[in-house]
Amino acid sequence: MKKSMKKVLAVLLMLAMVMSLVACGSGAEEVPAAESETESEAAGTTQPAEESAEQTEPSGDAITINFAYDEGVGDATRAMIDKFNASQSEIFVESYSLPHDANNLHDDFVNKMVAQDTSVDVMALDVVYISEFAAAGWINPMDDVYTAEELDAFLPGTVSGATYDGTLYAAPWFTNASALFYRKDLLESAGIKEVPTTWQGWKDAYEKVKGDVDYAFCFQGIQSEAMVCDWCEFIWSFGGEVLDESGKPVCNSAENIEATQFMADLIGEYAPEGVTTYAESESEQVFKEGKSLTCRTWSGTWNVFNDEAESNVAGKVGMTFLPVNKEGDTGHSCMGGLDLVTNVWIDDAHREAANTFIKWMTSEEAEKEFTLISSQPPAVKAIYSDADVLEKIPFYTDFFSIIEAGKTRPLSPNYAEVSDAIQRNVHTALTGEQSAEDALNALQGEVEALSK
Amino acid sequence: MKTSRKISARERQDAKVAWLMMSPALLVLAVIALYPVLRTFWLSLHEMSLKNPGSGYPFIGLGNYIEIFSDERAMTDILFTIQFTVVTVVLEMFIGFAAALIMNRAFKGRGLVRAAILIPWAIPTSVSAMMWKFIYNDQYGMFNDILYRLGVIDGYKAWLSSSGGSFMALVITDVWKTAPYMALLILAGLQMLPEELYESAKLDGANVIQRFFTITLPLMKRPLLVALLFRTLDAFRVFDLISVLTGGANGTESICVYAHKQLMSFLDFGYGSALAVLIFIVVFIISLIYMFFMGGDLAGDD
Repeated sequence: MKKSMKKVLAVLLMLAMVMSLVACGSGAEEVPAAESETESEAAGTTQPAEESAEQTEPSGDAITINFAYDEGVGDATRAMIDKFNASQSEIFVESYSLPHDANNLHDDFVNKMVAQDTSVDVMALDVVYISEFAAAGWINPMDDVYTAEELDAFLPGTVSGATYDGTLYAAPWFTNASALFYRKDLLESAGIKEVPTTWQGWKDAYEKVKGDVDYAFCFQGIQSEAMVCDWCEFIWSFGGEVLDESGKPVCNSAENIEATQFMADLIGEYAPEGVTTYAESESEQVFKEGKSLTCRTWSGTWNVFNDEAESNVAGKVGMTFLPVNKEGDTGHSCMGGLDLVTNVWIDDAHREAANTFIKWMTSEEAEKEFTLISSQPPAVKAIYSDADVLEKIPFYTDFFSIIEAGKTRPLSPNYAEVSDAIQRNVHTALTGEQSAEDALNALQGEVEALSK
Repeated sequence: MKTSRKISARERQDAKVAWLMMSPALLVLAVIALYPVLRTFWLSLHEMSLKNPGSGYPFIGLGNYIEIFSDERAMTDILFTIQFTVVTVVLEMFIGFAAALIMNRAFKGRGLVRAAILIPWAIPTSVSAMMWKFIYNDQYGMFNDILYRLGVIDGYKAWLSSSGGSFMALVITDVWKTAPYMALLILAGLQMLPEELYESAKLDGANVIQRFFTITLPLMKRPLLVALLFRTLDAFRVFDLISVLTGGANGTESICVYAHKQLMSFLDFGYGSALAVLIFIVVFIISLIYMFFMGGDLAGDD
């Protein structure tokens, strides 16, 4: 009895130890929920996922292309695929839908590319990973697919995001950008006619409406990708950059230190103390409850803020550029979104068919249709002034100039490491654990080590 | 106890059948447990960044392990993980023991209490971590509300924005979740204690405290150590709680969170595997220490 008990224990013990190793190795599946939410919001995918769209069979000797995409835009994407399949008979696009989670999508694609898998031909890849995939040689250059005039039709930020080392590797599909949402009603009641454009302007406005709201600003300061976007916008608003034009890290420039210190000093005085724990949903909640004069978040939130069932400030919300430090500068918002890329391991016939499909998907006509179904900001400029689109999404009038001035996060083949270094070091500055200068010096050291 | 007599042909036959019948299970274990472990160890001896397929993934011996010891981040994470493990396991032991002692007594609704106490344990960690994140929120969190009403704090605080607050939040959440598990394991031990001992002790005039220290505690040594062992191993491998609640911010990154980052975000399978193997080794050492205290050879035949 005693002996068998011991044996059982021994086996359990071994299992527990083995699991410790296996659990760590397989952690891949357990993508942290908070982070994935952030990622997907950054990609601007807010569509509910539903099953729909049956596939028709390919006709005769059509070449079949597998298109892997995020279920967050699943319905709209399937509608487009069906339309493409119906429009011609040479190429049949098969849909390969993946869970609505940017991290998972990335891991899935990496696994496929490492294994030289050809089960997908076209992938919808988050913009921040284009450099990584291009540097690893997993995606095909697309310089020969688009002419210079064709590229002019896209928002400039989306094209630079799709370019690595001077070569185009991806086709911009849809994008996303942040904006500053503010309380129109409060500005009016305080007699402020012109919407402030500078940080100081917003601070002054806050002093006048202090009784009605608790905070002037609300943004995302949690140690995650969400904060990287916010921090980039802060340093851009002070004229700073993460990498200079040659790709050399310039993280601890005077502008960046000033901007980071400014960002940290807002917390507690002009922004909630908890900003350093907020991702998008928490900061939006503060604004929705009417506690803050402004809120920095993704453009798609417009609908949520103006939904009376969910928001106390419905109908009182305006949208404008992110604030800048010096009068006359333009606020740059951080761009997200998905690009279309082709798998490097597929043969030439598939690649050619894939490119045909991608060109169709990124044509003005298809992008307009996709925007109308999905409400995702398109990559093609002309759609923002299209009458049908404006009727459905009126805020695009204001939004176009914001998104046109959008910038991409630092383009690095080691983006995951750079982002992680930014997250950890800048967060210590925001929580006041160390000064902005010390934090950015540490960051510079880490990013320099990564660039070698 | 060693058998000196000869093993009969019949017994040998039995042993063969036994091995044959166990073989499917052994095969499954080998595939799902042994292979990944060996593979992880093998990968840890290579320079293997998936983002750099051109390198050819060369064999670099113990290079990755040497790197760990000069990696300040890995060292800080290990220290934090040890700190977290010690604090949570000690708290869980005391709370779990107390809860088990209460549940071991006969009272009305005991079954209900025993079932109810297990609810925190039954909720998946990532879900309960999300829930606690709401509770600690600085705008509408219940934690603030309760402390405010009790007059402990004079305004709502952002608990997860400082390192002290984050550590406390993680400990509270972990203890809330796993103390019931500890209680259950200890309760199972308590129920095996012979009632006669207590009765005779009572007759001899021993009071409750004497009975606890002279009967309950010595007899509970083994079940308690087993419970502690499981909890220690679990606590050392903490991943999902931290990943969701703090994301490793404010100095709360555990070594598993870091290993996951190296493996799945940075795609450095060589270095990440070395970290995973290191965790395995530490866990192995912890087990050996416990086994030493249990005073017996757990794995072998007597």
